[in-house]
Amino acid sequence: MWMSIQLNEYSAEPLYHQIEVQLRALIVSGQLGEGAMLPSIREMAQHLKCSAITIRRVYQDLEAEGLIVTRQGTGTFVAKVDPEERSRHRLEAVISAMREAVAAGMRVQCSDEEMRELFETVLREAKENRSPPAQTGSADNGKEDEG
Amino acid sequence: MNGYGGYAIRMSGVSLKTSHFQLGPLHLEVPAGYVTAIVGPNSSGKSTMFRLMLDLMKPDEGSIEVLGRKIGSGKQVDLLKRVGYLPEEPYRHDNSIRGMDKADFHKFWYPGWDVNYYRELLRVFEVDHSIRLGKMSKGMRRKFDLALALAHHPDLLLLDEPSSGLDPIAWRAMIELLHRYMESGDRTILIATHIVEEVKRLADFIVFMVNGRVLGMYEKDELLTGWHQYHFPGALEHWRGMLADMPGLAGLEDAGGVVRAVTSSAREAEAWLAARELAPAGRKSMELDDILAALVEREKLRRLQGMKGAVQ
Repeated sequence: MWMSIQLNEYSAEPLYHQIEVQLRALIVSGQLGEGAMLPSIREMAQHLKCSAITIRRVYQDLEAEGLIVTRQGTGTFVAKVDPEERSRHRLEAVISAMREAVAAGMRVQCSDEEMRELFETVLREAKENRSPPAQTGSADNGKEDEG
Repeated sequence: MNGYGGYAIRMSGVSLKTSHFQLGPLHLEVPAGYVTAIVGPNSSGKSTMFRLMLDLMKPDEGSIEVLGRKIGSGKQVDLLKRVGYLPEEPYRHDNSIRGMDKADFHKFWYPGWDVNYYRELLRVFEVDHSIRLGKMSKGMRRKFDLALALAHHPDLLLLDEPSSGLDPIAWRAMIELLHRYMESGDRTILIATHIVEEVKRLADFIVFMVNGRVLGMYEKDELLTGWHQYHFPGALEHWRGMLADMPGLAGLEDAGGVVRAVTSSAREAEAWLAARELAPAGRKSMELDDILAALVEREKLRRLQGMKGAVQ
């Protein structure tokens, strides 16, 4: 499931932040359930073609938030997430993705009206194309596999 | 995880002068538990630096510490047992012996020698060790030497241009093996390379080295997300003044009708541009070699300015 994490190389957003947002989303949405094992720091770094420093930072942050636990010698696992926590985190990834989209619009000098229109169009398209049944809370799995 | 935190190698004030080359003074700390890539053009002093670390050459000045041991103070046999070294050029003096004889020699000297792992490495690399080393093709010799450097499970791997002569399949196998080597978390690789893809796949830290000097050490991901270039339509004269204070500005040039501005701090630069409602027509992240070129340019400028300052 963590394989669905995708990085945007062209973003000035630090990689650790991009990974953190997506991994957190996978956990709080329940797509990575309690007790699920995460890859080692090296393995994740190799898969995402980023450095072990970045992944280490992500794991440390998520551990501090209580979303994952590292057991010495065995590995890193998804912790139990309480429902309150879950709802707090749920929208974070969405907001961040929206910010990106708005920033992209502003770069090409879209008007507010154009942006609203685009949002409506994209939403409509997504609903029309979505293959049933809809997955819950998946903010950022635009592409499922591929890498 | 005890590997994270300390340093595998520390060099301080190390310098060496030969008739045609000045190395250093070098200050370098290689973090334990990570892969550090030394990137730079040929003859920037990378191989000499490896030799100094292994006590194969003596510096004129400065001190070197490897795995917590001071280099140059008596015999280093115990230390060398914990190091795997792949020199840039294979040793010619053992051209006449077969691979398996050389392996026996390593087995004798390295207590950590793991014959099963050695055999696995030969299998993965498709190396026939019954061939005399001098008769092996360049690629096979490289693979054999790499297997030798790994087979005693060293704590520190020093790799000098490891992929020279490797075909793409062997290259992939090497990358995979090096990732596996790092898996335990307490081992360290120092690798000299000028293959951009190798740095991308392997490195955690990057050290840029030019003309015997270290230009800087960076976290790879920070470096790659930090350096961006923007395109602005219009004339250079128009933008020169406007962008003079852009954060991290590291280059501004006419790129045929558009102006290309390079920054080393993309996030700050973007916030700065947005605050002034300056919208670039295009933006791009940069490749390592472009970043190296920009750093070399900056270093040249700095030196020129330094010389001017000295004259005044």
